[in-house]
Amino acid sequence: MMDLAVRDIRNDLSRFLLTAAGLGMLMSVVLAMTGIYNGMVVDATVLPDTYGGDLWVVQKGTQGPFAESSRVPALLADRIRAVPGVERTRSYMTLNVQHELGDGETLRFMLAGLSWPDDLGNSLPLAQGRALRQPHYELVADRALGLPVGTSLRLGRDDYTIVGITSGMVSSSGDPLVFASVSDALRIQNDLASEALRLERESRVSRVRRSEYGRDPANLARAGSAAPLPVTSPPPVTAILVDVAAGGDVEAVKASLLGWPDISVYTIDEQRELLVRGVIDRARRQIGLFRALLVLISAIVMGLIVYTMTLDKMLSLSLLKLLGAKQRVILRLILEESLLLGISAYLVALLIGELAFDLFPRRVLVQDLDRLALLGVILGLSVAAGMVGLRKALAANPNEVLAS
Amino acid sequence: MNERVGTTVLSLTGISKVYGEGPTRVDALRPTAFEARAGEVVAIVGPSGSGKSTLLTIIGLINPPTAGSLLINGEPVITDGVAVANLTTMRRRELGYVFQRSNLIPFLNAEENVRLALEIDGVPAHQSRTRARELLESLGLGKRLAALPGKLSGGEQQRVAIARAMIHQPSVVLADEPTAALDSGRGRQVMELFRDSAHAHGAAVLVVTHDHRTLDLVDRVLEMEDGVLSEKQPA
Ligand SMILES: Nc1ncnc2c1ncn2[C@@H]1O[C@H](COP(=O)(O)OP(=O)(O)OP(=O)(O)O)[C@@H](O)[C@H]1O
Ligand SMILES: [Mg+2]
Repeated sequence: MMDLAVRDIRNDLSRFLLTAAGLGMLMSVVLAMTGIYNGMVVDATVLPDTYGGDLWVVQKGTQGPFAESSRVPALLADRIRAVPGVERTRSYMTLNVQHELGDGETLRFMLAGLSWPDDLGNSLPLAQGRALRQPHYELVADRALGLPVGTSLRLGRDDYTIVGITSGMVSSSGDPLVFASVSDALRIQNDLASEALRLERESRVSRVRRSEYGRDPANLARAGSAAPLPVTSPPPVTAILVDVAAGGDVEAVKASLLGWPDISVYTIDEQRELLVRGVIDRARRQIGLFRALLVLISAIVMGLIVYTMTLDKMLSLSLLKLLGAKQRVILRLILEESLLLGISAYLVALLIGELAFDLFPRRVLVQDLDRLALLGVILGLSVAAGMVGLRKALAANPNEVLAS
Repeated sequence: MNERVGTTVLSLTGISKVYGEGPTRVDALRPTAFEARAGEVVAIVGPSGSGKSTLLTIIGLINPPTAGSLLINGEPVITDGVAVANLTTMRRRELGYVFQRSNLIPFLNAEENVRLALEIDGVPAHQSRTRARELLESLGLGKRLAALPGKLSGGEQQRVAIARAMIHQPSVVLADEPTAALDSGRGRQVMELFRDSAHAHGAAVLVVTHDHRTLDLVDRVLEMEDGVLSEKQPA
């Protein structure tokens, strides 16, 4: 039996291709949504995935650095190292930085501390340059920051040089990550805080000066000198990362740390879970729902298209019935056309994905399984749409031929 | 000439058709008896609304009669108004159709339209292709095999339709005003084609026509008047 579907398509190929392209674009949005969803999960867990560490020790009663602010004394690291089964400890801290470039542009990034000398950033996915070699004034920045190796940045009171470039390292809110030694990061934090304090003090003085109260120089001086920074022991970090010795019992170490006052302890998986189920949960569900909606819309569009394609063929279908064609012939014509349309749309979607997804500002991660799932959805939609067309097609009346 | 010529391939007894009921009741076809033999061309003439198309669609098994029996090639198909055979199979194997227009599937070319009649009954492509080409060439369409119906003239389209109606060697070919859309010269050629094909393929051809100038080409003329069919004696 000759292939009727292929001949019908060939007869108006441009229309078929246009329809497939349109449907493909719709499908590519479904694919993009899946990729954005996956990318979001990967991005969210970049920090715990990069740092590793079997246990994360944080301030008592907090859920850790990704959920809320936490402060633990840096010296705690030394005490934890003495616990049996602990191989090493690292300090962990991050800092959101907004840096004014000369030309009025603003760099936003998240500064993350590396525990010198245990962690030089060698496990970072370096695309260019190198990891840290000195304990100070060196940065490893993500490509998303847009600055090349060798760039010098003034952060706080000092100049820092970018020595390495990573790729794909962003915070859960999508800002590029920049790595420095923990001590540099703490100093930058302190400098930026006192800079903020100085600005705050200046504005207070100028406010007082403009007021009646500021006529008295003594009041002016009091306004300027208020609230100096308290000088304390080494500034606190966000968390302490604990690596348990190979073959050691993570749960046992956790149990013994839990007895300590002022700290809470999480395994790294608990931290990851917290990020995915907690921090980005709403965003994740939002995208998930949007994707479901898109599939529904695609289903309706696909059904309508196949239905119209069938309507356009009613005379031919009536003629086929008049000639005594079996139902199978009509079934194949409609279903095959619907499937060919679906598969072409799928290929268009893949092509658009290949070409366009890298241009997205945030990570779009499409895996083979996602592509397979989309193929499954499209095939399902094609068959369902074919059934809609088929209902109409099987109702074709051979008498129609005579009436026309 | 086909060896079947002369045998009775179609026989109707008491076939009638009533549309609607009560005040809208139309007796489109009064109880009719009628036979046709392979190789003959039978013309059916009569005024508009007299029931010619109704008769043709009943024989064509696309319009069930209200009562009566119908045999094709000796096999009972409708007995006392009830279908007793698989009508789809009968249409596919025993019947061929030609209409005034819209006979052809628009997305298939001339050759494919003719092959279709064979392939829907399971004839493999290589056989159907050869047979379709031979037939179309014999009808003077050897150069138009790959043309889509939209690119064929009205006369060419009707010749392709006749080829499709004949290629599977049906017992009965039904044609409802096949020449109405053609000028008289082309119309006469089409009627000649029916006459030659009926002999070559051993089919009974029933043609509804308004064109009395071509009646000299047919074997018998039947007249339809208010649903009553009668044999018109040759003048
Ligand atoms: N589906 C139908 N429902 C009701 N009445 C019908 C139907 N089809 C035909 N008729 C009526 O049956 C009668 C016969 O119609 P038919 O089409 O067989 O005539 P015809 O001889 O083919 O006419 P024409 O030469 O105009 O084609 C007419 O009165 C027509 O109105
Ligand atoms: Mg009619």
